[in-house]
Amino acid sequence: MKNGPLFFLGLFASLTFSFAGVVLFANAQLGGLTPYYDDAEGKSFPERMPGVAERGQLVYRDLGCVSCHTQQVRRPGFGADQARGWGERQSVARDFIHQPYPQVGAMRIGPDLTNLAGRKPSALDAEDLMKLLYAGQGAMPAHAFLFETVKVSGQVPAKALKLTGNLAPASGMAVVPSERAQVLVAYLLSLNTVYDYPESRPFVKAAKKTEGGIK
Amino acid sequence: MSTATTEVSAIDTQARVPVLLLLGFGLVWLLVSGILALIASVQLHTPGFMAGYAWLTYGRSQALQETAFVYGWLGNAGLGLGLWVLARLAGSSLRAGNWIIVGGIFWNVGVALSLAGIMAGDMTGHALFQLPSYAQPLLFLAVGAMSVSGVLAWSDRRSEGTFAAQWYVFAALFFFPWILSVAYVSLLALPLRGVLQSIAAGWYAQNLLTLWLAPLALGAAYYVVPKITGRVLPVYQFAGLGFWTLILVGSWTGGRHLIGGPVPAWVPSLAIASASLLVLHYLLVLLNLRGVFGGGGTSMKLLAFGLIAYVGGGLADAVLSIRSISVITHFTYFAQAQQQLALYGAFSVMIFGALYYAVPRLAGRALTSATLAGGHAILIMAGVVLLVVSLGAAGWSQGQALLDPKISYPEIAAATRPWLLGASAAQALLLLGNLMLGVNFALTLSSSLLASTAPVYAPPAKLAASVS
Repeated sequence: MKNGPLFFLGLFASLTFSFAGVVLFANAQLGGLTPYYDDAEGKSFPERMPGVAERGQLVYRDLGCVSCHTQQVRRPGFGADQARGWGERQSVARDFIHQPYPQVGAMRIGPDLTNLAGRKPSALDAEDLMKLLYAGQGAMPAHAFLFETVKVSGQVPAKALKLTGNLAPASGMAVVPSERAQVLVAYLLSLNTVYDYPESRPFVKAAKKTEGGIK
Repeated sequence: MSTATTEVSAIDTQARVPVLLLLGFGLVWLLVSGILALIASVQLHTPGFMAGYAWLTYGRSQALQETAFVYGWLGNAGLGLGLWVLARLAGSSLRAGNWIIVGGIFWNVGVALSLAGIMAGDMTGHALFQLPSYAQPLLFLAVGAMSVSGVLAWSDRRSEGTFAAQWYVFAALFFFPWILSVAYVSLLALPLRGVLQSIAAGWYAQNLLTLWLAPLALGAAYYVVPKITGRVLPVYQFAGLGFWTLILVGSWTGGRHLIGGPVPAWVPSLAIASASLLVLHYLLVLLNLRGVFGGGGTSMKLLAFGLIAYVGGGLADAVLSIRSISVITHFTYFAQAQQQLALYGAFSVMIFGALYYAVPRLAGRALTSATLAGGHAILIMAGVVLLVVSLGAAGWSQGQALLDPKISYPEIAAATRPWLLGASAAQALLLLGNLMLGVNFALTLSSSLLASTAPVYAPPAKLAASVS
């Protein structure tokens, strides 16, 4: 490698090649993905996140929730995602097209949240989620810093958490969620993949070939 | 006296201030990241730990320790040693040292700003790319300024040919601004749509390891190993093939972390195939650097350990990325174990090894304490082994349990807890070891500064084996 410019050109070309091959090619394939219009329902999917949920996604991102929770359900037969009740279908690229900051994740220290609000038979509601955030549960740390303990004069605020036992605040006090907690919960409640796209249905193998086919 | 005059050349006196500045900054970040890593590790088995502080909640402490380690420690030390290697191999004194100093200060302001930003919640949410958007231009400019010295050393080299160490370092200098700017544009300035962000972030994270950290560590190793053994590297005619395999193939291996995800299936498949091709690179590096196993001082021990971690980790990546295994290990601590093996076991330990060779020459005197150096090496090697084994075992049991829907999350947490305690113990060992390195470095530097005469390097008999 005596030729400096040629060496430099080689470096440049190899990285350009991999960028084009991985990122640009994927972009060419998926960049133009459009919402899927369902005639029967008369609207397009995925639906846009409500504004409050979009703000909640920012809170989710800045707290680093993604370091423990994924938002991707794998196809049946690859892992036990369906059996754990995380979603009835696999996640597909179309699920994320409206999200400014997709939180796909790569670590499952906690459960997957793809379909948190669409779980069956019963999904967690706002009150459960607030309590979970405030007190933590199992390996999940408490996020008490998202809440304020306020003095109650007269009526207890409607938003106040209904806490019992050790968690209950001192008398005359109430724990109310901050705005950040409220938008975060709104975001969590917007997470669902109830709608089934054509590409998210499990691939059914064609009937076994009998003649000359390899088993 | 002959030792002294041959060992410390004019190159080293020119390089002293800029390179030692980068190494010093690096060691400060190494200790900071060690404390943060210990906090994050404790939080995994004791979730209540520091949970009251928003700026240290696990999501952030994890991002903080990773950023401090990669950009603070590995970046500073790798760049410092790399620029020193380029100057030495050019055979002329290090030029544009002021650019390194200015760039180094900017780089470290950028790292400090990144950490403050992550504490405040400005992280990007992409692994190994948590740098807040406003800190990135600083890092970009800083590495550009430092590269001035590297480019001058490259174009001014006295010999027409080049050495493997030069290829690796020069490539690292060029690739970092390239990938950082691409990631900045495609993830922050004009974000790609949906899951394409995951693909671009995976491309960046892999290249950060493959095209920046690995070349910096290998550049230092390819320079130091023949210096210590006093022999030409074996099978050196294939070093070029090893280099180009890494550059051409390594860059495609990022997508294996997206296996099973909502991305086109070719993304992980291509990456898995590339990871098997990359085996060639690891074998060639092993052949080239096998001289490290001949024994020697602290430097050689660490380089040998780093080489085993690098090659072993690379081969493991190739085998473990296949679908039937990654269905278990994906999304678990096992992936963290593999990453720590690369970041800590391979890159960091190789840099430690090169550092024990370089610092005495740069400071103009032997390291103050051979005991601290030996203790550091032992603690680091023990710490890395314990860390990787603990996380690997935790991940394997977590992965097996996740496949069985009857095993609940609290049960998984209970099963992994002993291993996670082991990982925390490992982080404590690593922190203690690095404290020894920090103290030794500070003592050596201060004795060098306090010396009234120009420093002359002459290793005492006891230290000769460890530093030369």
